[in-house]
Amino acid sequence: MVAPLYTTASGLLFHAGKILVLTVGLPARGKTHISRALERYLRWTGVKTQVISLGDYRRKVIGGTQKLPPDYFTLGEKSPETIALRKRISDGCEQLIWDFFNAKGQVLIYDANNGTKERRRSIAEKFVAAGIHVIMLESICDDEELILANIRSVKISSPDYRGWDQDKAVDDYYKRIRDHVVHYEPVEETDYPSIRIKNVGDNIMVNDIRGYLQSRIVFFLMNIHNRFRTIYFARSGQSLIEHSYKADSDLSPGGWQYAEKLKEFVFKQRAKTLEARGVDPTTRRLVIWTSARRRSHHTAWPFLTTSPNDPCPPSSVKVMERPQMSEINPGVWDGLTPDEVRKYYPDEWERFVKDPYAYRAPRAESYHDLCVRLEPTLIELERQKEDLLIIGHASVIRCILAYLIGLPASEIPAIEVARGDLLEVMPTSYGVYSQAYHFWDGPGRSDTNSGGGDEKNFYENYAEDTKGKRRPEVESLEA
Amino acid sequence: MLKKFDQSAASSKIPSQSATPPISVVGIGNKVAKPDYSEAKIVVATVGLPARGKSYLSNKLMRYLKWLEYDVKVFNVGQLRRSRARQRALTSGQRESHTAEYFSHSNEEATRLRDKLAEDSLDMLIQWLKDGGNVGIHDATNSTHNRRDKIQQRVAREKGFTVIFLESICDDPEIIAANVALKVSSGDPDYKDMSPEEAKTDFLRRIRAYEAVYETITEPGISYLKIINVGDRVVMNHIRGYLQSRIAFYLMNLHLKPRSIFMSRHGESQYNVEGKIGGDALLSVHGQTYAEALPGLIKNNIGDAPLTVWTSTLQRTIQSAQYLPYPKLTWKSLDELDAGVCDGMTYEEIEKQYPEDFANRDEDKFNYRYRGGESYRDVVVRLEPVIMELERQENILIIGHQAILRCLYAYFHNFKQADLPYIKIPLHTVIKLTPKAYGCDEERYTLPIAAVDTHRPKPKAPAPKPLREATPMTSRRHYYAEEETEEVAPLE
Repeated sequence: MVAPLYTTASGLLFHAGKILVLTVGLPARGKTHISRALERYLRWTGVKTQVISLGDYRRKVIGGTQKLPPDYFTLGEKSPETIALRKRISDGCEQLIWDFFNAKGQVLIYDANNGTKERRRSIAEKFVAAGIHVIMLESICDDEELILANIRSVKISSPDYRGWDQDKAVDDYYKRIRDHVVHYEPVEETDYPSIRIKNVGDNIMVNDIRGYLQSRIVFFLMNIHNRFRTIYFARSGQSLIEHSYKADSDLSPGGWQYAEKLKEFVFKQRAKTLEARGVDPTTRRLVIWTSARRRSHHTAWPFLTTSPNDPCPPSSVKVMERPQMSEINPGVWDGLTPDEVRKYYPDEWERFVKDPYAYRAPRAESYHDLCVRLEPTLIELERQKEDLLIIGHASVIRCILAYLIGLPASEIPAIEVARGDLLEVMPTSYGVYSQAYHFWDGPGRSDTNSGGGDEKNFYENYAEDTKGKRRPEVESLEA
Repeated sequence: MLKKFDQSAASSKIPSQSATPPISVVGIGNKVAKPDYSEAKIVVATVGLPARGKSYLSNKLMRYLKWLEYDVKVFNVGQLRRSRARQRALTSGQRESHTAEYFSHSNEEATRLRDKLAEDSLDMLIQWLKDGGNVGIHDATNSTHNRRDKIQQRVAREKGFTVIFLESICDDPEIIAANVALKVSSGDPDYKDMSPEEAKTDFLRRIRAYEAVYETITEPGISYLKIINVGDRVVMNHIRGYLQSRIAFYLMNLHLKPRSIFMSRHGESQYNVEGKIGGDALLSVHGQTYAEALPGLIKNNIGDAPLTVWTSTLQRTIQSAQYLPYPKLTWKSLDELDAGVCDGMTYEEIEKQYPEDFANRDEDKFNYRYRGGESYRDVVVRLEPVIMELERQENILIIGHQAILRCLYAYFHNFKQADLPYIKIPLHTVIKLTPKAYGCDEERYTLPIAAVDTHRPKPKAPAPKPLREATPMTSRRHYYAEEETEEVAPLE
């Protein structure tokens, strides 16, 4: 039995030790957006990660702006009561951070302004003394439009301004920022490792970043963007030899039918979505990723042929074959039914059922292995600005979907992805919007009702076998 | 350009036919074409004073991208200057002096000449990109705003081309001194007729001539990557696009600390003895002996220096590493090339049962993907994160498999894809690679423990190329202009 990649005895991953990321930046510079995205990414790679937000904590303990003394946000002279109150809040937050690290947490992102050198040093010193790596993550923005958009869309909807007049709230918020600007000191000190991001990734400055996890964090931050796009997921069509990984068989007649139907439906659905946002679908490119398996890239075949009914010219579609996107490798369990596995590999079966995410069957991949394999694909998915259709295998879609939605790693094997559903996912700055559309009911639809799944393929279809619990809402076509 | 599927099999596409002919179910695999990289057209223009590691970074970058099958070429302005001077020397019989005076910016005639050279070199680069190249590296000092502005404007005239400036800044006197010493001692043709002391003095004067006019990149609108003391600090500005961000991330991960990478295959396995491929067999008796002898060999070599051992998840590598007293990591990505349906067969069996496929694979081994398994290219893609991590690490011992080590080895020695599957990685041998400024030093230690030979030379070909003998192992800097042709790969 082999330990999963990079787990150390302490339960921490990647030999990276514990990391405290201190966000730095004026209000409304997208710190929270970056923090949440990073949290989602790190959790997906299996790292125990948490964001602690000073603002949220303050609101929880004291309440909205109305309940604060008037000098709470002005950074000049303060009354002793206000100083004590501020100290109570920041001490309370720091206690939460200690609690997280003591409970075997690995990466903590402390989402606060941390706008002065003095403040940053005083926090960092305490944690560095405890052997924790501290990284400064500064978000800078000098584009007034970006800032105003952020204030309007996010800040004044916060509980601080419940019941306020919109414009008054914006004014008040600007006042708060203005006070900060006077006292703000950008991260120019080099005594701690730092990452400084300007205008959502236009310019990135990296100082003294060492270590695997740290460098992954930088690479991730290099690739995120905030342009609107849609990501579609669909399973590949039914193949001739469904139950064998090694056979890499071609599509069955039903599978070809499915492929035609998929093309038709994707174009229709995409046009609907884009038009709803006022975008002309013929002006945007659609990128299609398939794995290098026959059933997957042949499902994309119809997209490469022209038919008179196509709403988009074929030149606006680009198909890419990605060998990293093959389905989970079932190893020696290839082609076996659960009963056979139980009989021939009783010990392994027991361990598998206990932890289907981390357990690796003999010569197979675990879901954790699969996530590690898919990680480069995921970074590219983040970087991709065009609309994307992923024609993939259930196991692969599960991993990517879990990342986008932000599900814990242990739930990945239980996500149900039915053949015949098109999943539509739209990343927004705070989370994602996702919706499934059911468009097909032919052979190979491994739906819980039709029982069409092949039981010999249970490793790949584990979620269907367990009547998967995480299934996005399905909107039926009739509705 | 769109990727086209193999249209010859299109007959199976019509769903109304009673049954799809299971064309693809015969055989054990097929050749897979290289992905389409024709959209990637990037000019990487280096910026920096002499002896700041520009050529080091360009060479590393070239090796990495070539390993990923991009077409990359370095256009070194110094090389062009020397080869033109030599031509002139041949026609006019007059030798030109390229001492520090030539590089002084108060020497107007020489400045004009050097500007012209840089422009010509860029034109050659752009022509080469138009002819199908992907990444052209313009290796020059490009030390002023003005010069960079000209490059920017020239590249902007080409549709779909982008330019990234790669600035290397180094203020660590030790690194600079080492670079200067390397430059002087490595047979730079400019200093052929000088004593090392004279050469050094002249080279330092040349650096001062550049320092007088040097302007670090501050232009806000351009796409650049600034690397300070190789990896200490990095600034990225307007890095857009897939390949651009890969390049930036790769260069960010490099470091200059001295270290060695040890590679060994697992000890002889039972499958090796039986001549079978793939599988997850245990070690043979000989293999076991090798595992026991390995700690002594490594200890002799590195003493008490820290080391990390990487193995695959297969039993034969874990068993081979079992007596090594170092921290160990298990990488799924280091597992052997998946032979798909041929897993567990011997080559003789494959040849007998699938003669045609067998011949097909031999014809183009790098591109051949086993049915339900992988090709060498798939392995390279899978190993890319491993290479990235390897660049960041210090001493590492990899206990791996034949195909895996071939791919890793090819990265360090810049092998062509076609030659990669024939690299000799014998059993019971430790290969030690020590990265140097312009390549890798290599030592091999073979333990006198018997093992079968699992190397299959390219059949029918006029004897496999004696790869190592033809190009002597050296990490010495390679000076382009001294070569007969310009087409030689700039690295050994």
